[in-house]
Amino acid sequence: MKYLIRFITQTAAGGVEQNDRIVDAPAITLGRATDQVLQLKDKRARLQHARIEAARDGATLTSNVRSGVTVNGRSQSEATLQVGDVIEIGENVIKVIAAPPDVAFAISFELSPDASSDHVVAEWSAPNDSVAGWSKRRIAWTLAAVVLLVALVLPGLSMLPGGVASVTRDSALLIDDGYWLAGPVHNAHSSIADQCEACHVDAFQRVPDEACASCHTVDVHVASSDATVLGTTRCASCHLEHNEPPELVNQHQGLCADCHNDLPDNVPLQPAADFLDAHPDFKLSLLLPSENDVGEIEWQTEHMRLADARTADRSNLKFDHSVHLVEDGIITPDGKRVVECAECHVAEPGGIGMLPVSMDEHCSGCHTLAFDPDDPSRTVPHGDSASVVQALVEYYSARLLGSDPDAVDQRVRRPGQRLTRADRDRAAAEAREQALIVAEDLFERRACVTCHEVSRNENDTDLPWSVVPVRLTQKFYPHASFSHAAHDTEVTSCDSCHSASSSESAHDVLIPDIATCRDCHGSAVARRNDSDQTASTCIMCHGFHFEAKGEHGVTPTMRP
Amino acid sequence: MHESILAFRKRRYLWVALGVIGASFVAYWIHDPQEPPNGGTWLGYTLGVVGAGLIVWLTWFGVRKRRYASTAGTVQGWLSAHVYLGMALVVVSLLHSGFQYGWNVHTLALVLMLVVVISGAYGVFVYLKYPQRISENRGGVSNSELLMQLEDLDKRSVRAARDLPPEYAEFVDSGIRRTQLGATLWQRLRNDDQSRIVLPGGDPAGVTNAGQEAALDWLAEKQSTASDPDVAAKIGELSALLRNKRRLMKQLAVDLKLQASLEIWLFVHVPMTAALLVALFAHILVVFLYW
Repeated sequence: MKYLIRFITQTAAGGVEQNDRIVDAPAITLGRATDQVLQLKDKRARLQHARIEAARDGATLTSNVRSGVTVNGRSQSEATLQVGDVIEIGENVIKVIAAPPDVAFAISFELSPDASSDHVVAEWSAPNDSVAGWSKRRIAWTLAAVVLLVALVLPGLSMLPGGVASVTRDSALLIDDGYWLAGPVHNAHSSIADQCEACHVDAFQRVPDEACASCHTVDVHVASSDATVLGTTRCASCHLEHNEPPELVNQHQGLCADCHNDLPDNVPLQPAADFLDAHPDFKLSLLLPSENDVGEIEWQTEHMRLADARTADRSNLKFDHSVHLVEDGIITPDGKRVVECAECHVAEPGGIGMLPVSMDEHCSGCHTLAFDPDDPSRTVPHGDSASVVQALVEYYSARLLGSDPDAVDQRVRRPGQRLTRADRDRAAAEAREQALIVAEDLFERRACVTCHEVSRNENDTDLPWSVVPVRLTQKFYPHASFSHAAHDTEVTSCDSCHSASSSESAHDVLIPDIATCRDCHGSAVARRNDSDQTASTCIMCHGFHFEAKGEHGVTPTMRP
Repeated sequence: MHESILAFRKRRYLWVALGVIGASFVAYWIHDPQEPPNGGTWLGYTLGVVGAGLIVWLTWFGVRKRRYASTAGTVQGWLSAHVYLGMALVVVSLLHSGFQYGWNVHTLALVLMLVVVISGAYGVFVYLKYPQRISENRGGVSNSELLMQLEDLDKRSVRAARDLPPEYAEFVDSGIRRTQLGATLWQRLRNDDQSRIVLPGGDPAGVTNAGQEAALDWLAEKQSTASDPDVAAKIGELSALLRNKRRLMKQLAVDLKLQASLEIWLFVHVPMTAALLVALFAHILVVFLYW
C-alpha cells in the first residue's frame, strides 16, 4: 500500500516549504520510537502512538493509547478518516489531504518548530530523572506502601476479632501473622505454632505465666512464683521461644552459677560456679544400717563425701567383684566362661539407671540353694531364715511320712496298716533333726554365709540362725541426672568409671568421683577445656526445678 | 585542593566507624546470654537501638544536603560520615540479629538495609572513579560541546547532500531525525545506539543504523556504482562526515553511560531507604506487639 506524507516546514523567511514523500508500507505508524514511519519528536507522544491503515473503502486510525488521539477536536481511539480531518498528537498536527491517483491515502504533517533537525539530540541527551517513567520519589512511595502492606497491614489482619485469623492462617495465599515470627517455634509447641495469641495474650505485654499455666501444670515446676528464689521472674524469662537452635530449656551456666558461686551464709551448700574447677566434691547418698531400740536394723540415707565413703558401703552383703570378673573366666553350670558386667547390671528401660540386682535372676544360676546331693533340683527359698528351715522340715517330713511319692526311705509297713501316733511323732522328730543338720550346713558353711552375715543364737533352738538384712543403695547421686545410655559410647566401658575388677570387698563404693567425670566433662566455657573435654553446664547433670524438694519451688528462705 | 569524601579530615569518620564496629564486636564476644544470641538480649536491644538510630541519622542526610543554609557541619563532612557509618551499620545490624534469619518481617528489614548499603557502596565507587573516566572520555571537552560538534556534523552533512540527487537529502535528513542514544536510563546504561535511518526506496519504518553502519554501507555501495567522479567524490565527503559522526556517537554513548551510572544507583538507594524505614518501623512495632 502506498501512502503520501507531505512534510510542511516554516522557512526562516516566513514562507512554507513542502516536501512529499511516498512510502510503501502496510500502514503509517505514528510515534516517538525511531522505527515509526512518521516519527514524532514530542514527549507527549508514545513510542507507538497510533496507526493509519488504508483499505479499499477508506482509511482508519487506531490507537492503543488510553488518552487516544484527537481527531477533529474529539478524543478517540478509533476513527474513520476523511479528507480534511485534523489529527492531533501532542503538538503535532496531521491533516488528511486528497490522495493523488497512484497512492491509497495521503496526509500532511507540519513539523513543529522544536522538532526540527537542529534539536533532535535535546531529547535523548537531557539528564534522566526517571526509570521507565518512574521518578525516585514515586518508586520510594510505592515501595514503602508495598512494605507497609506486606509487613504490617496484611499480617495484622490476623489480630482482628471475629475469626479473621482462621481465614488468613488457613489460606496458602494470604500473609498471616506467622510472617511476624522472630524465629522457629519449638516442636513441643507445634500444636499451637500458628496461634500467636495462645502465648501473646495481650498486645505489647510480655508472655504471662498464666499463658503457660493454661497447658502446663505449674506446680511441678514452681509452686508459687512469689515464694521462690525466682521472685518476679516469669516462666518465659528462662524458657525462651523463637530462637535458633530451638531450645526451651535454658542450658546456660549462669542460670545456676549466678547465684551458686556466692551463696548467702544461711544456705548450707558449698559454692559452685563451674564444673572444671569450681565444683564441690561429690557427696554420696548412701544407705547405712543402724540398730533401733528393739534391736531391729533401720536404714538411713546419709550424705558423705566420696573420699570418706570409700570403704563405707554397708549393704551387709559379702561380694567380691574381682572373683567374678577374673579374665580367665569362672566355672559356671554352663562351663568355664568370662562373666560380663551386663549379666547382672541391666540398665533400666530408657537407659538412665540400673535395675536392682536380684538373687533369683542374677545369682541363683551359679549359687543354687540346693541342699540334697541326691536331689539337686530341690532348693530352699531365698528369703527369711524361718522359711528356709520350714522348707527343710517339710521336705524331710514328707520323705519319712510318705506323702511324697518319690520318697525313698519310707517305713516299710503292711498294706492297709496306718501309722501310729508314736510312729508319726518319731518320724517328725527325726525329720526336724535332719532338717536342722542340713540348715546348719546351709547357713553356716555352704550357702547363705557365702554372701550374707549369718549370726547364731544358741538360745533359740527352733531357729538359731538369723541373716543380717541387706539393702543396696539404688541411687548414689539422686540430685544428678545421669544416663548410662548416654555414656555408652565407643570409647567407654563399665571399667572406665567403675573399677570393679579390682574390688575385693562389697564395702568398696564403686561410684566414680568428680575427677573421673572431669576426664571428659570440663568447664562451661569451651576455651578453658582440654581438647578431650566437652563443655558442660550445670543443667547437664542438675535439674533446676525440683519437684516437691523445695529447692527452687516453695522455700522462701532460698531468696538471698 | 580537592579532598575525597573518604579522606575527609584525615579519615575522621573512618575511625569513628571502626570504633563502632570494634566496640560491637568486643561486646558481642564478651556477651554470654542465657539464650542463643538474638535481638532480645541486653546487647541485642543495645545494638538494635544503635542500629535504628544510625538508620534514622543516615536517612537524615537526604534532608541535610538540601538545607543549604544549615551550618551543622559541612555537607562533605556529612557525606563522609554517612559513608563510613553506613558501613558500620552492617556490622551493628548483623550482630543485633545474632545471625538468626528467616522468612519474616525482621529479616526483610535486614535485607532491605543490606540492599541500601550495598547500593550506597556502589555509589561511593562510581562517585570516586567515574568523574575521572568521564573527563578522560570527553578529552577535555564538555558534554554540550560534544553535542555542538554533533550538530555541526549534521549541518555539514545536510549541506553536502544538497549537491547530490534529492534522495540523498532525504537520506541524510532521516538519518539525523532518527539519531538516538540512550533515551532512557536503561538504554544509556546498556550503551545502546537506537539510531535508525530510512534508506531511499527501503522500509519506510527505517532500518537500524547503530554506529551509522547502515548509512555508511549504503553510501559505499552508491559510491562504488557512481559513474560521475564528481558525485563519487561528494559521496566520499558525506561518508567522511558520517564516520566522524560515528566516532562522536561512540564517545557520547560512553559519556551517557558513565553519567547514567552516577544516577542509577540512587534509584535503588533512595527508594529502598523508604522501604527500609517502613520495614524498620514494622520490625520494632511487631517485636513489642507480640512481646
